[in-house]
Amino acid sequence: MKRVVVVVVLAVLVGVGLAQGKTTVEFWHAMSGSRLKVLEKIVADFNAAHPDIEVRPVFTGTYEETLTKFIAAYRTGTAPHFVQVYEVGTQTMIDSNAIIPVYQIPGMLGETWDWAQYVRPILLYYSVGDNLWSFPFNSSTSILYYNKDHFRQAGLDPNKPPTTWDEVYEYGKRLIEAGVVTNVLSFGWPDWQFEQQLAIHNYLYADNGNGRAGLATKVTWPDPFSVKVFTTWTRLAREGIFLYGGPEYNANSAFTSGKISMLFQSTSSLDSIIKTANFEVGTSFLPRFSDEPRGNSVVGGGSLWVRKGQSTAELRAVWEFFKYLSQPDVDIYWHKGTGYFPATNAALKQLMDEGWFAQSPNHLTAFLQILSGRQDTAASIGVRLGPFVEIRDYIRSALEKALAGTLSPEAALAEAAAKANRALQEYRSLVK
Amino acid sequence: MEARFPGHRLLPYILIFPSIAVIIVFLVVPFVQAVQQSFYRTSPFGTTTLFVGLDNYAQLFSTPEYVRSLLTSVGFAALVIVGGLAASLGIAVLVTRRIRGVGFYQVAFIWTYALSPAVAGIIWALLFDPAVGLGTYVLYRITGYRINMLVEGVPALLIAAAAAAWNMLGYNICFYIAGLQNVPREFEEAARVDGAGPWRTFWRITFPMLSPTTAFLLFVNMIYAFFQVFGLIDIMTQGGPGGATEILVYKLYRDGFIRLRVNFASAQSVVLFLMVAAMALFQLRVATRRAVYSR
Repeated sequence: MKRVVVVVVLAVLVGVGLAQGKTTVEFWHAMSGSRLKVLEKIVADFNAAHPDIEVRPVFTGTYEETLTKFIAAYRTGTAPHFVQVYEVGTQTMIDSNAIIPVYQIPGMLGETWDWAQYVRPILLYYSVGDNLWSFPFNSSTSILYYNKDHFRQAGLDPNKPPTTWDEVYEYGKRLIEAGVVTNVLSFGWPDWQFEQQLAIHNYLYADNGNGRAGLATKVTWPDPFSVKVFTTWTRLAREGIFLYGGPEYNANSAFTSGKISMLFQSTSSLDSIIKTANFEVGTSFLPRFSDEPRGNSVVGGGSLWVRKGQSTAELRAVWEFFKYLSQPDVDIYWHKGTGYFPATNAALKQLMDEGWFAQSPNHLTAFLQILSGRQDTAASIGVRLGPFVEIRDYIRSALEKALAGTLSPEAALAEAAAKANRALQEYRSLVK
Repeated sequence: MEARFPGHRLLPYILIFPSIAVIIVFLVVPFVQAVQQSFYRTSPFGTTTLFVGLDNYAQLFSTPEYVRSLLTSVGFAALVIVGGLAASLGIAVLVTRRIRGVGFYQVAFIWTYALSPAVAGIIWALLFDPAVGLGTYVLYRITGYRINMLVEGVPALLIAAAAAAWNMLGYNICFYIAGLQNVPREFEEAARVDGAGPWRTFWRITFPMLSPTTAFLLFVNMIYAFFQVFGLIDIMTQGGPGGATEILVYKLYRDGFIRLRVNFASAQSVVLFLMVAAMALFQLRVATRRAVYSR
């Protein structure tokens, strides 16, 4: 009997010892809906495979809210070990003095890591100079989704989605006149779609090379091209073709319920759109202006940032998780479940080898779009601004005013530009 | 104090200490900090802080947005208070009549208050969704006008105000029902004997007798329309389109927490505090005094 007691006590002590040997790291993210389940599965599998590490994921609201909460928590010393920040917050994080750039982490732990394995546009977007600052995780870009059944009903070729804005107009008219829909096109993340239009035509958004060569001092708009974009959208809205659908993913339901025929949205909505829609979904590149130069669509989504001031054990735990995310199987699971890009070259090869892209060509669209575009200009790589969240807010407001007719496209852009330039100037006064 | 607590000089102070402590920690200290913050400009992560004097205040009053936000708040509050109270009073009068199933009607009208602003916001936002909303559709069928609250400012403000008033309807009706039940029947009967019609009886007898209730509800609804509708606005319009529903408290939130301009938001909170303090004083002094309490 005594022996039994001793064994039990020893077992409990060992258990406690093991529990204490476990390193727990907290991870704040903004993945909701179907993305949340995919992410939680990945984390659970990782924890099961690493008995000495526990990654604790916490959903902290939208991207905006997650960034705000991280900042507040950092200032009070309760920030998580790593956090997902959307691409808009990149410059704020770089200047925060609160993070460890990921390129330094392998060296700190006595390891080496091949950063070239990541898909190039993602690597370029999150790099300062030649160094990667945040860990590639959920990258996406914007593509055109369209309803093939609607195209057939209107007598349009379902395999010929619009390539130019003129065709968007022409097809829109056809779809309305055929009585298929009353409005044709809507956008997710309208502020981001504006960035995409500038980028796919190789126009800068802000000076100093889109804020990549140094902190931006001014936005480029209103210039003739941005006014052209706003004017085109306003005209389409007046004709009833374009229906403004609000921020983020609000417009998705209009598309999946068949109220509209085309949608510009992030690839990350691909899986939820295919699952919800009871019609044949087609995808293609974003329409462009035929008489303008070519650039590239830009990366959106988020990446993972590591908080500074953690123990080596904690940092090692975070790094193990990051390495796990880069394993082809995990990366592929993430891609298939959400529509986000697989981040590594190896995952991409494996997907191709197993015939995934032939089986689900819609998963290839965003990839072909971004990999076939140019990657040698700042305009085509993407924008990086300190007060980017704020500036997007102003652009969205400007678009709403232009669409409602309260202001002309040019006046709306000029009003937003004045606010954006004030914000950039204030930001520089604090960072430099 | 000695007189009430003989022999216990310190007891009253000890008893009141917790309340004072809570007020100091949660109200006074943050307020002082807000005032202090409003003279600085801080980077998002708090790494750099610059003293900018009255720059935040200067910016507040030199940009048209703030004045516009103020006017939006006043318009919104007027719609919610006047529209909401009028509707509540009308409904309360109807559901206090001697009719069959009056209990059902009373409950049916009061339950909207049980919904959280988030739920109410989602219901109304879906109702007037430009593409799939039932309200949008019905309105289009009746009037031929396709309402789009995501683009047009005035409809957005009206819909948000309607949602806010609707959410508060149950609360107001509750108080009006209670108030109506306290109006003595004799007065109404006397008026009827003197030959007054129901309309005249209502305005000359019932409405003045309800003035304490109305004064109280005015105050509560004002606080509601200025501050508590935050969640509703956040869910329905997020201050859009083009800032058309950006009422003061929502603008403060967006500037401080989304646009990460904490100091600018602090300046706004100080100004907002002064405005609300002035309004509250005015209400307590004027509106409450003019109410008829005696019978």
